[in-house]
Amino acid sequence: MKRIIITLVGKDHVGIIGPVCNFFADNNINILDIKQTTVQEYINMMMIVDIEKYDKDFDTLVSDLDKTGEKVSCIIKAQHEEIFEMMHRI
Amino acid sequence: MVEMKEVFETNDMVSHENLDVRTITMGISLLDCIDSDLDTLCKNIYDKITASARDLVRVGDDIGLEFGVPVINKRISVTPIALVGGSACKSPEDFVKVAETLDSAAKEVGVNFIGGYSALVQKGMTPADRNLILSVPEALKRTERVCSSISLGSTKTGINMDAVRLMGDIILESAELTKEDDSLGCAKLVVFCNPPDDNPFMAGAFHGVTESDRIINVGVSGPGVVKNVLSKVRGENFEVLCETIKKTAFKVTRVGQLFAKEASRRLDVPFGIVDLSLAPTPAVGDSIADIIHEMGMEYAGAPGTTAALAILNDQVKKGGVMASSYVGGLSGAFIPVTEDKSMAYAAEIGALTLEKLEAMTCVCSVGLDMIAIPGDTPATTIAGIIADEMAIGMINQKTTAVRIIPVIGKGVGDVAEFGGLLGEAKIMPVNKFGCADFVNRGGRIPAPIHSFKN
Repeated sequence: MKRIIITLVGKDHVGIIGPVCNFFADNNINILDIKQTTVQEYINMMMIVDIEKYDKDFDTLVSDLDKTGEKVSCIIKAQHEEIFEMMHRI
Repeated sequence: MVEMKEVFETNDMVSHENLDVRTITMGISLLDCIDSDLDTLCKNIYDKITASARDLVRVGDDIGLEFGVPVINKRISVTPIALVGGSACKSPEDFVKVAETLDSAAKEVGVNFIGGYSALVQKGMTPADRNLILSVPEALKRTERVCSSISLGSTKTGINMDAVRLMGDIILESAELTKEDDSLGCAKLVVFCNPPDDNPFMAGAFHGVTESDRIINVGVSGPGVVKNVLSKVRGENFEVLCETIKKTAFKVTRVGQLFAKEASRRLDVPFGIVDLSLAPTPAVGDSIADIIHEMGMEYAGAPGTTAALAILNDQVKKGGVMASSYVGGLSGAFIPVTEDKSMAYAAEIGALTLEKLEAMTCVCSVGLDMIAIPGDTPATTIAGIIADEMAIGMINQKTTAVRIIPVIGKGVGDVAEFGGLLGEAKIMPVNKFGCADFVNRGGRIPAPIHSFKN
């Protein structure tokens, strides 16, 4: 399993999660967990996904997520999980 | 399981507080390149550097992309060239040819600086050391990416005052040869007392002779992160202040540790150290002076600044040491003037003077750094400034350095512009009273009594 953290930040509106989930489904990326909060009109979402069966390189994933983000007017980032574990765990 | 709050905290540090990995620096030993023929030496150096660091830039960029924290600089440090070129280089001009080789190799692999055009003369100078030092102005003029550092003193050996005096002339000559660019050559030249062998930061990085063939050293950063977290504890006591800095330094250093291990694995080069230094940039919010302001000073340089910097330096180390398996380099807070917008402003309005900066260097990790002074400053005065700084390092058993830029053709209040990460600042006044009779004495200052620990 190759776990990646996906974060999405932007102004909340109808139809954000649908296109993002479709992108993952189309690319063989399995969603393991989704958490979301909406503060005032802004949405913060975190997904943990498994990219084990994703057959393109990480650069492509990042740039395709940028494009998906543009479609839903949000910023979507993908990062390896270790960065967060290193920073916040002893 | 990673918590959402932690994920967004990390990403806020990157997006809003300029968290980055300042440099991944590959140290490369050039001792096996030594040859008595200059052309063979240069070929050996070029081949070894380009083979060793071929993938450095790509790997640094890949890691930055995958973890979502940018790696700003990818750099190389090499064995002090006075040692490597001693056999082949019979004149300063010969050494310049080696500098040009380093520059070409740096351009070939895509690193923005290569350090190690250096001589270690803290006790005495060999003919090769002297030739290298004499070649520095021309080498810095003819190359773009080569950085030079000269070690002039140490707690163990004392201070080589002949070399200190010589460096007064060399700094002025470097300034003169690059006067069209506000004497930019001097921004790539630093003199040291007690330099570390594993410093990843420029201009002072070199690959010490005690190091292995190749090594990966990483310099982290994060003044903006510390400043932001301190804004949340305004008015709290010193215990809270110190704990807050320590915890933040831990997090920032962990990023460096992760990147260093990852770069080491991907490049198949051993991991050396993480340097914990808080290194500012001219970007808004990426400033040591802003941290000092946040701690309670009206501007950096106000009374209390030295104490604040001492706290900052110590807490950064305490937090950082636990976060990394190997800590080294300079590790502390840098206090450059031109590279830190708020520091430059504090100097401009008179809050920060050269003398106060000197006091601050007693408790920070380096020394007088990126300070523009009038171009007509005498060489003897520059040597005097260097001698003071070397003495602070020697007596306090710490690294100190001087990277000072006499801007030819400009005086106090004029603006010196270096561009990019080197920044800009108004030229600071220097004490007008002379010290020529002192620095011209010649010889060497003996090692201090507390160096005799055997």
